[in-house]
Amino acid sequence: MSFLTLNSLSKIYGNFTAVDAVDLEVSKGEFVSLLGPSGCGKTTTLQMIAGLAEPSAGTVTLDGREITREKPNRRGLGIVFQTYALFPHMTVAQNVSFGLEMRKVGRAERDRRVAEALALVKLDRFADRYPRQLSGGQRQRVAIARALVIEPPVLLLDEPLSNLDAKLREEMQFELRRIQQTVGTTTIMVTHDQGEALSISDRVVVMEHGRMTQADVPAAVYDHPATEFISSFIGKMNNIPGIALKLGIRAHGVILPATDCPATEGESAVLSLRPERITIVPAGQGHLHGVVSARFFFGSHWLFNVDTAVGQIIVSWPNTDGSLPASQGQPVGLSWLPESARVSARTQETSRIDA
Amino acid sequence: MTARTSSTPWFLSLPGLIFFLGMVVLPLTLTAVLSFHAYDFNIGVLDSYTLSNYTTVLSDPYFLSIFWRTLRIAFITTVLCVVIGVPEAYILSRMWNPWRSIFLLVIIGPLLVSVVVRSFGWSMLLGSTGLISKASIMLGLGPVRILYSEAAIVIALVHVMLPFMIIPVWTAIQKLDPGLEPAAWSLGASRFTAVRRIILPQISLGVLSGSLIVFGLSASSFAIPGLLGGRRLKMAATVVYDEYMHELNWPLGAAIAFIVLVANLLIMLAYNRMIEAKARKVLG
Repeated sequence: MSFLTLNSLSKIYGNFTAVDAVDLEVSKGEFVSLLGPSGCGKTTTLQMIAGLAEPSAGTVTLDGREITREKPNRRGLGIVFQTYALFPHMTVAQNVSFGLEMRKVGRAERDRRVAEALALVKLDRFADRYPRQLSGGQRQRVAIARALVIEPPVLLLDEPLSNLDAKLREEMQFELRRIQQTVGTTTIMVTHDQGEALSISDRVVVMEHGRMTQADVPAAVYDHPATEFISSFIGKMNNIPGIALKLGIRAHGVILPATDCPATEGESAVLSLRPERITIVPAGQGHLHGVVSARFFFGSHWLFNVDTAVGQIIVSWPNTDGSLPASQGQPVGLSWLPESARVSARTQETSRIDA
Repeated sequence: MTARTSSTPWFLSLPGLIFFLGMVVLPLTLTAVLSFHAYDFNIGVLDSYTLSNYTTVLSDPYFLSIFWRTLRIAFITTVLCVVIGVPEAYILSRMWNPWRSIFLLVIIGPLLVSVVVRSFGWSMLLGSTGLISKASIMLGLGPVRILYSEAAIVIALVHVMLPFMIIPVWTAIQKLDPGLEPAAWSLGASRFTAVRRIILPQISLGVLSGSLIVFGLSASSFAIPGLLGGRRLKMAATVVYDEYMHELNWPLGAAIAFIVLVANLLIMLAYNRMIEAKARKVLG
């Protein structure tokens, strides 16, 4: 049963289509991420849900009620802005309390709910501070508490972690998920960070040029990207162009196997292979041969650049016991399970780039 | 090393310091000294010192009524500038180019026109045979004469003072996070409540500086009251001019000028301390 429904929602600025007929059904309690590069229309979509941008066409339905043209202050949705937009002249407690005041909640209950919300984001000791006295991560928590204290049917997060440094960002990702699961609020998050979207969402919606191109659980988006754009946008991907075979492709005279092969035999196609699905084997074995041209260490894994007959292939190798399968300049073989590779028909865009 | 670091700032600020001493402190001191000189109508400025200029001014109901009028006009002008200027600055900040540039020019416009030309323009509008009066006659309301009244002075002052209110307020609004109002709306605030509870408290420093400028300039204005107030309605600056140029009683004029300066300073400092202390505490 869909709780929040977007029905061919569109936004057109002059002759530019920012959002092109987006259809989305979000169930109650679900955490959905709108993922895409900047300018893909994800923020505009969020603004239309929030009532901050007026849709050019389509409808927004919340819990069976159409709210397409409703004023933002009547929708009652919780919004966390990219800049947090905390009220600088109010203390943390006053910031959180503002929404309750607007709802004419009595003093005693207001104080109780503000304390509860601040405890939820672990900021109970900071109630009397002003926003300028807080760190970036703490401001972020205040913004979340302020949005959640009004018990909104839907929580909207606009690039909530983009203003935090890398370490804090990772911490807040888990924190965000914990808070969302504690209160169980239906949440829609806009982000351009694929890691963020994959790690904490129930479902990822990928947007591209104002269109929704895939909506699925994170693992499916990662393992079965619907388009070549998604496969390269989400995670790293080796895309090898060639001619489709029954089970794989032929590229530069080499046969590369793949089980998932929907492309028509004989047509030009692309084989997509995740770096972590490739194993480095001794030279002379495996499906593909090459020479290690560069090696990078990332702590949890190594990344190898291997020059092969079909171009440079990226291989990721987990740092499980500290052993290295190959050193720079060494000839190696590359192997993978045919079910890990995927062949798709070439899109117009990529054939043009390669031509 | 320590000697150099402590003398360098003084050395660097020397040109400004000389300028300030020569152009502000010296004339003011001379005026202050002059205000204590005795005066005789037949001889002129005497070489003896007296407090009689101050006692004359402060005990004469004629002068007191002029001080009172000056304060009242400056105060009304300031209030009107806040009432008109703050919403105008808010609207201006919500405009897109090219309208924003056009309206900014319209607002600054009065400052680009000579005060004499501008005042004559107003007298043509406000006089007994002026446009407003004629319109009133046509509507059957009889003639109205606004010229040579306090209202005429206030209207012309508000006209020229508005930019001094709008620009600091507009600057303050520009500095705000554009997400603040949407945040307030999303929490259930109406547009009006969002402006009142979120925007206004944060631009109070802009309003404060704007009203200080407007009050100070209005209280010491000379040309507008002189041209639109007529010979009868005097303000502080015009009466100082009269003492200097018509009565030739320079010491008395200097005393009036000094009283106005001190009164103006006291009012502005008190106002500044009162509001700024409150605003700084919150905004940091």
